[in-house]
Amino acid sequence: MTLKTLLKASSAFVLLSAAAANAQATHPETGETLAEVQTFTYRVLDEHSSVDPQVVEDVTGSDIVRDLFEGLMNQNAAGELVPGVATGFEMSEDGLNYTFTLRDNARWSNGDPVLASDFVYAWKRAVDPELASEYAWFMELMSIENAAAIIAGEMDKEELGVAAPDDSTFVVTLSQPLPYFAQMTTHSTTFPVHPATVEEFGSEWTRPENIVSNGAYVLREHVPQERLVRVRNENYWDNENTIIDEVTSLVINDVNQSLTRYLAGELDRTETPPGQFPRLAQEYPDQAVSIPRLCSYYYNFNLSEGGPEALQDVRVRQALSLAVNRDVIVNNVLASGQTAAYNFTPVRTADFELPDIPAASMSQEERNAMAVELITEAGYGIGGEPLSIELLYNTDEAHRNVAVAMSQMWQQTLGIQTTLANQEWQTFLQTRGNQNFEMARGAWCGDYNEASTFLDLVTTNSGYNDAKYSNAEVDQLMADAKTAEDPQPNYTRVEQIIAEEMPIIPIYHYADGYMFNPELKGWPVDNVEQNWYSRELYKVAGE
Amino acid sequence: MFNFVLKRLAIAIPTILILIVLSFMLMFAAPGGPFNSERPLPPQVLANLEARYGLDQPYWKQMSDYVVNVVTRFDFGPSFQYRDRTVTDVIMQGFPVTLTYGFWSFVVAVIVGVSLGVVAAIKHNTWLDYVAVGISVGAQVLPNFVMAPILVLVFTLWLGWLPGGGWQGGQWQYLILPVIALSTSYMASIARITRSSMLEVLNAGFIRTARAKGLPTWRIILGHALKPAMLPVLSYLGPAFVLMITGSVVIDVYFSTGGIGQFFVNSAFSRDYAVIMGITILVGVLTILFNLVVDVLYAWIDPKIRY
Amino acid sequence: MYPDKTTAAGLVDAAHLAEVQGRSLWKDARQRFMRNKAAVAGLVALVLITLFAFFGGFLAQWSTEEIDWPLMGNVAQAGGPSIANGHYFGVDELGRDLYARTVQGTRISLLVGFVGAAIAVIVGTLYGAIAGYFGGRTDGVMMRIVDILMAIPFMFVLILMLVIFGRSILMLFIGIGLISWLDMSRIARGQTLTLKNKEFVEAAIAIGVRPMTIILRHIVPNLLGLVIVYATLLVPTMIITESFISFLGLGVQEPATSLGALISAGAGQMQYGVIWQLAFPLFFFIVTLFAFFFVGDGLRDALDPKDR
Repeated sequence: MTLKTLLKASSAFVLLSAAAANAQATHPETGETLAEVQTFTYRVLDEHSSVDPQVVEDVTGSDIVRDLFEGLMNQNAAGELVPGVATGFEMSEDGLNYTFTLRDNARWSNGDPVLASDFVYAWKRAVDPELASEYAWFMELMSIENAAAIIAGEMDKEELGVAAPDDSTFVVTLSQPLPYFAQMTTHSTTFPVHPATVEEFGSEWTRPENIVSNGAYVLREHVPQERLVRVRNENYWDNENTIIDEVTSLVINDVNQSLTRYLAGELDRTETPPGQFPRLAQEYPDQAVSIPRLCSYYYNFNLSEGGPEALQDVRVRQALSLAVNRDVIVNNVLASGQTAAYNFTPVRTADFELPDIPAASMSQEERNAMAVELITEAGYGIGGEPLSIELLYNTDEAHRNVAVAMSQMWQQTLGIQTTLANQEWQTFLQTRGNQNFEMARGAWCGDYNEASTFLDLVTTNSGYNDAKYSNAEVDQLMADAKTAEDPQPNYTRVEQIIAEEMPIIPIYHYADGYMFNPELKGWPVDNVEQNWYSRELYKVAGE
Repeated sequence: MFNFVLKRLAIAIPTILILIVLSFMLMFAAPGGPFNSERPLPPQVLANLEARYGLDQPYWKQMSDYVVNVVTRFDFGPSFQYRDRTVTDVIMQGFPVTLTYGFWSFVVAVIVGVSLGVVAAIKHNTWLDYVAVGISVGAQVLPNFVMAPILVLVFTLWLGWLPGGGWQGGQWQYLILPVIALSTSYMASIARITRSSMLEVLNAGFIRTARAKGLPTWRIILGHALKPAMLPVLSYLGPAFVLMITGSVVIDVYFSTGGIGQFFVNSAFSRDYAVIMGITILVGVLTILFNLVVDVLYAWIDPKIRY
Repeated sequence: MYPDKTTAAGLVDAAHLAEVQGRSLWKDARQRFMRNKAAVAGLVALVLITLFAFFGGFLAQWSTEEIDWPLMGNVAQAGGPSIANGHYFGVDELGRDLYARTVQGTRISLLVGFVGAAIAVIVGTLYGAIAGYFGGRTDGVMMRIVDILMAIPFMFVLILMLVIFGRSILMLFIGIGLISWLDMSRIARGQTLTLKNKEFVEAAIAIGVRPMTIILRHIVPNLLGLVIVYATLLVPTMIITESFISFLGLGVQEPATSLGALISAGAGQMQYGVIWQLAFPLFFFIVTLFAFFFVGDGLRDALDPKDR
């Protein structure tokens, strides 16, 4: 009890002194008058997995880790690469070597300098089979030399292609050129850790009383399933420009409850409940914000041996896709700024060029007419052979609503019966992974801002290709894209093939509805990966 | 009495073992595993993880290792889901929370419930009786997942009196709404039981004698009738305790209190075997202990009962 | 989950008396029951609700699954209860007819209650009767098993089962029923112990009737009064349990629904101006439970010789 009271007292003190210093303060760039109390409190759906950079595996946790730790590079509000601990990097001619120069004023929260060897330690830790990081695959994806072999236990972790020739130089060797390698260093798995602390406390090093971090904030308090509080790190190299003093994340499972508490002034940010965004946007135009994300929502057809025969017919697949009125789903069912999808890769993906997909420009009546034509041709639907399809999705209100709407659209337009099968998440993953379904929901979010993160999914050997779609041309195009000067035409062509063969039905591209405290500024709305940093936020004084 | 307690404790041991075996069987039969995600892990990473947590061992070995660890070292192993914590950490975190608001709910439920029941019994077949019965049945049939959001709506959003959730180490403002939401259905049951057993006791010979002697009603109630009338209420407290723990799921979801219920449900969904086992065993042990205490109290209050 | 112990204790006396006085008690009990206004009102309400659940669908102008497209996305403004568009109870958040869905939900909740209670009562009665009749070591072992099972936090096991084996109505019935037979078995056993020394049982043994036949023909029918009252009080607890399971998202499979699922969905939406989504299902839920409680209390009082 005493420790906690003490902490609270001291945090109150920090707040007071900070407030005194900030009195009448203005934002250094915009000149807006800042609020006296600079705190940011937001809702998270669920407890995060960990705040250990190499262990964290969820979005909630990554958001926290980005505040507590800083990696080589950061993203700015537009999602572009800006210096972090590294002031910059150089790539060798062959694209296989990256040399990062570390800033000399970067400090850990205990005052130690951030060294290149800390990064070496952290990266080796990420691939260490003993730690068994769930994100070890990310290091493999980064094509770091020997990463795959180390993860497989065939090589010692010391063989990883990273080195620290001196305290401020960090060198990475890749096994193949990777155009988006530098982008990947903004991911939390690549953040440094303080070796002495990790060694001393083992798996308990992330406790508030033990943790040493190098980000703009330090961990103050953590009550699992309730709250996590982080406060300004006085040793952070850019501490002067940090405005928010204290960041609190509250675990609130129920989104309606969260909205109520937001409206009661307890939170600065919350998600909006499904279907409520339009009303909120109307009622609170200065607070409701829809943020598009690099994610796609789709349904897989089971194209494997065991899949239903009717779905092997491309005309049936086309008809089912055409009969889905995406506008209704996007505008009436979900209604928080999602966009109708007729292709897989989100349009906002960097440099991606959309192919010409006829269905996208038709009206729904035309699509329905075409769908009826196709299904009749295939011998199913009204007057044809009766067809019944099972839709598999994981238990969730929004997924259920989309599935219910789709099944009604198919029944009314095509005369096709559907049964809904919802399964709890873990069971769902297993059923889908074993192709025990007819049609199954899928969703994919980009790991980095480039089309291949999506389109790799439809290649034959992808572990995430749940439809078991296989097309030699697609495989070839994607393989060529890896080394191509300009891979974009390949991506566009792949999208065209998908649109013709329809192994999946793209439904919509994600956008999340949020409520933001109108005094809170600096949110990177345009960052499609939603990598946000609390140190860039600030609160302006209310009128 | 001593022998009785010993005997009950002796039964407790096979009970706990059966509980462990049963939960283990359920979990091994479960599709999915703790390390499944939208993005299936590369087999090698998965193998590393399973080796780390001993999931690559045969089932019987996992089970016997578990039992040995629990019995000899009181070690429930690490949580799969919260990688930097052990099961003991998780329980030590969540259980005091559940116990705190559970305890207060209990106190409120017993005091209010017994009072309502006694009033209803004394004023049998008057409007007071009907009101009390109406309140208690009403409270019993209103699900607490309807009550909880109503409470937050009224007290947090409209009146602004109380915080809509959180725990903050159990400060009183954070306790009130959870306690109201959790206690009402027990309160209702206790009121109903008290009323009917009180009615029975009031008709008994010794009460009639007391009345005949001209004792004031309140002395008859407090001095003579209340103790025997409490017997059925006592035996309800055992099952009520279990209901309290499971009911904490709703409380944790709506009030973000961080109690044991939420941990259990989350762990069941994400296949955090270690936490599921830990909580199941904990609740099993507590159920046994609580029922034992109730039985001992029973014998103490009712001299007719001999074990 | 557990109807209170007084009920159980009172029941034993009641049923005991039922047996001694034979047929006339049933008539007595009926008269007593009919004098209890709350119980009679409850019974009437139950009959009405059952009729609603099984025949209300004929009045519906929409099916339970059909989406009223123009209303979808516009539910708060246009989706309220209306005779004109045939949605007597309004529509749910997807624009499906709430009247049809409430009818279906009531039916499924009643079924869950009845089937769950039936499983509990059948298993519990047989188990208790067998243990009590055979006595001795069989009795000891069987009752120890009950003791052990009673210490298991069954709601947790039920959640585990539903999470693991996927949900189906059948699973729900079985799961809930299996939780609740323990108390019944204890009561049935106690009653059987007194019954088995009665002349008619001894006579049956003397002419060589097999034990199982005696249990089914002679013991169980005499437990009937007890069983009926217990079952009446068990049904509402079953319905409450089902609603809790639905709240956890482990209830019946869409597009089918139950009162618990409807209430849980409606409760989430209550501050968004669609209060009918909560009000109608909750009304039927509460009335059903009220009715069962009053009928149960009435039955118990009617079968209980001690006039309260």
